[in-house]
Amino acid sequence: MTTAGLIVIAAMVFAAIASAVIGAYGVRARRSTSDFVVAARTVRPVANAAAISGEYLSAASFLGVAGLILRDGVDALWYPVGFAAGYLALVFFVVAPLRRSGAYAVPDFAEARLHSPMLRRLCTAVVVIIGWLYLLPQLQGAGLTLTTATGLPYWLGAVAAAVVVVGTVLIGGMRSVTFVQAFQYWLKFSALAIPTVVALVYFFGDHRTFNHPAPPTLTHQTTVWIHTGVTLQVTRPITLTATGRVDGVQASGTTLRWNPGLHSVADGAVLEFPAGTTTPVVEGAPADDATWLLPNASGDPYSLLGIYSLLLATFLGTMGLPHVLVRFYTNPDGRAARRTAVFVLALIGIFYLAVTAVGALSRLYTPQLLISGETDAAVLLLPQAVLGSGPLGVGLGAVVAAGAWATFLATSSGLVVSVAGVLAADVFSSRRTGAFRMATVIGGAVPLVLSLLVTRMEFGEAVALVFAMAASTFCPLLVLGIWWRGLTAAGAAAGVAVGGVLAGGAIGLSLAGITQPGWIGVLMLRPALVSVPAAALTMLVVSLFTASSRPAGVDQLLLRLHAPERLGLSRDRPAERLRGPAA
Amino acid sequence: MSTPQHRTPQQRPSGPLYERVQASQEFRALRRRLRRFVFPMSALFLAWYVAYVLVACYAQPFMATKLAGNFTVGLVLGLLQFASTFVMTTLYVRFAGRSIDPAASAIRDQLRYAP
Repeated sequence: MTTAGLIVIAAMVFAAIASAVIGAYGVRARRSTSDFVVAARTVRPVANAAAISGEYLSAASFLGVAGLILRDGVDALWYPVGFAAGYLALVFFVVAPLRRSGAYAVPDFAEARLHSPMLRRLCTAVVVIIGWLYLLPQLQGAGLTLTTATGLPYWLGAVAAAVVVVGTVLIGGMRSVTFVQAFQYWLKFSALAIPTVVALVYFFGDHRTFNHPAPPTLTHQTTVWIHTGVTLQVTRPITLTATGRVDGVQASGTTLRWNPGLHSVADGAVLEFPAGTTTPVVEGAPADDATWLLPNASGDPYSLLGIYSLLLATFLGTMGLPHVLVRFYTNPDGRAARRTAVFVLALIGIFYLAVTAVGALSRLYTPQLLISGETDAAVLLLPQAVLGSGPLGVGLGAVVAAGAWATFLATSSGLVVSVAGVLAADVFSSRRTGAFRMATVIGGAVPLVLSLLVTRMEFGEAVALVFAMAASTFCPLLVLGIWWRGLTAAGAAAGVAVGGVLAGGAIGLSLAGITQPGWIGVLMLRPALVSVPAAALTMLVVSLFTASSRPAGVDQLLLRLHAPERLGLSRDRPAERLRGPAA
Repeated sequence: MSTPQHRTPQQRPSGPLYERVQASQEFRALRRRLRRFVFPMSALFLAWYVAYVLVACYAQPFMATKLAGNFTVGLVLGLLQFASTFVMTTLYVRFAGRSIDPAASAIRDQLRYAP
């Protein structure tokens, strides 16, 4: 391994050890199981906001958004815009009432609101599915980071991340996780902001612009390894040297001349381009700068459908993410919870601006990613592409890799805590810390195995699918449960089942790599536009038909949910259900 | 659902206080005020989103207008979506802090000292 690789590994190890040390420091403050899980609500708004952001900004945000912007340009802005906007829906409709309900996880809320053990179990299953699906891209991101930065095998990164996350959660629990995640937010923000600022300085000194009439050009001789087969779109004639299967013909170091049009390259091929080559881009991506800067430039008739479906999923899905909901419980009161939300949006907004800048700059400095299609690696490769392989480039590259690790560790620990919490309570039916520990190991092991088996989707797309799942199940349950007295247990269960099956089916097909042309294909990748209304309608209709089984005392319950804390009506019961014998 | 361990009269989930709160004019006014803020605000927010996507898809020449350097109208409006999310949350928090919390305190005091 090269010196640069060793420095990167040292930086990653630092990120992991620092997290573990902060986690261990927090252990001393722990008194009982309820502290363990919700940090006894003693965390201050700014620290809590950093923790929420640290947890929320996942592999999709750190690597995926920049990659999508590199490839799709302005159209990819929808992802960060939707991820940020989901917070607004969460704050407006869910945070304060859910806090007052005393439930800190959706299964608790479902049981408190509708008194149905069956619905509770269904919700538990959905929490576990969402948690595992969301963990998948995080672990895959760890693998990609390790292999991009050091050349070590992909699986090693995923295994290492899973081990560190499960270990941190086992020794720390939620209180220390809060500080770990606050630390990780600042680490990942610096890891992104410093290289961005440096790259921007170079950019403005470089006289490069986004004004090219043609696709970006490769500044020096570039070798591209194709890991998954691609079809490339060529706009100007180019020459290249290829080894592997190209356009259906086996080449071995042959010099080829590509005319404008589409060219297919099979996986395992190696392409070498001379300096000054006009970059071929993956089929379907905007080729020149003008279309890259123009929203919906492809003129695809279904793109409007896709955008609305994506926006719906991200806007409504955030409130159903288990690790985000539980976080608002760590505020001392509703007022602090609201202040936390503003800080969160500020922190997330700044982060996404930096990511957007990285995505744009990587179009100039790492256009070879447009050829291999591995645009998720843009953030990782930018520092060395801009600054060269001198000490500064290697150093900043290591900082970015450490930040990427912090990202996977932060999001994954939050998810593992949430999944383990519901597993311990509902599957092991135990409130002891021992059950929580066992659940933690299972919660981390299953997605690890999955991450090594399924093919990797782009992180942005993979996470958007999980948002669609959350939006199709928990969003209608929470919104109708909080705002409509007519909801019944049967209606809620039917709606969650319908939304879950529709969104889950789409996710399954996408993970299996099955694609379709036309609007069906768009909905398979972004099912929310169909699955969310279907789930909500099912909930409404079935509830109306089973109106006789509306839970008793629903008026008083809803009053409690909507009466501000200052009325003194809400019962303050942090994690009571997990309060067993002291840990 | 387990039973809370420390119950004070104010925290009892049912009972006279609840009924009095629910019946009180002030509480209804408070709830109306909250809804009058949250629902129109969400509608406005969604409309701004839907409109941006529509303009992006059907008014491309307008979106491609260059304002300065590489900054097109589309890009600026897209970045403004972040800003608007942040502004709306800030407005909500200020509204809740100034308008909802004091009113809630007033109702509580009134109920607590009522005969």
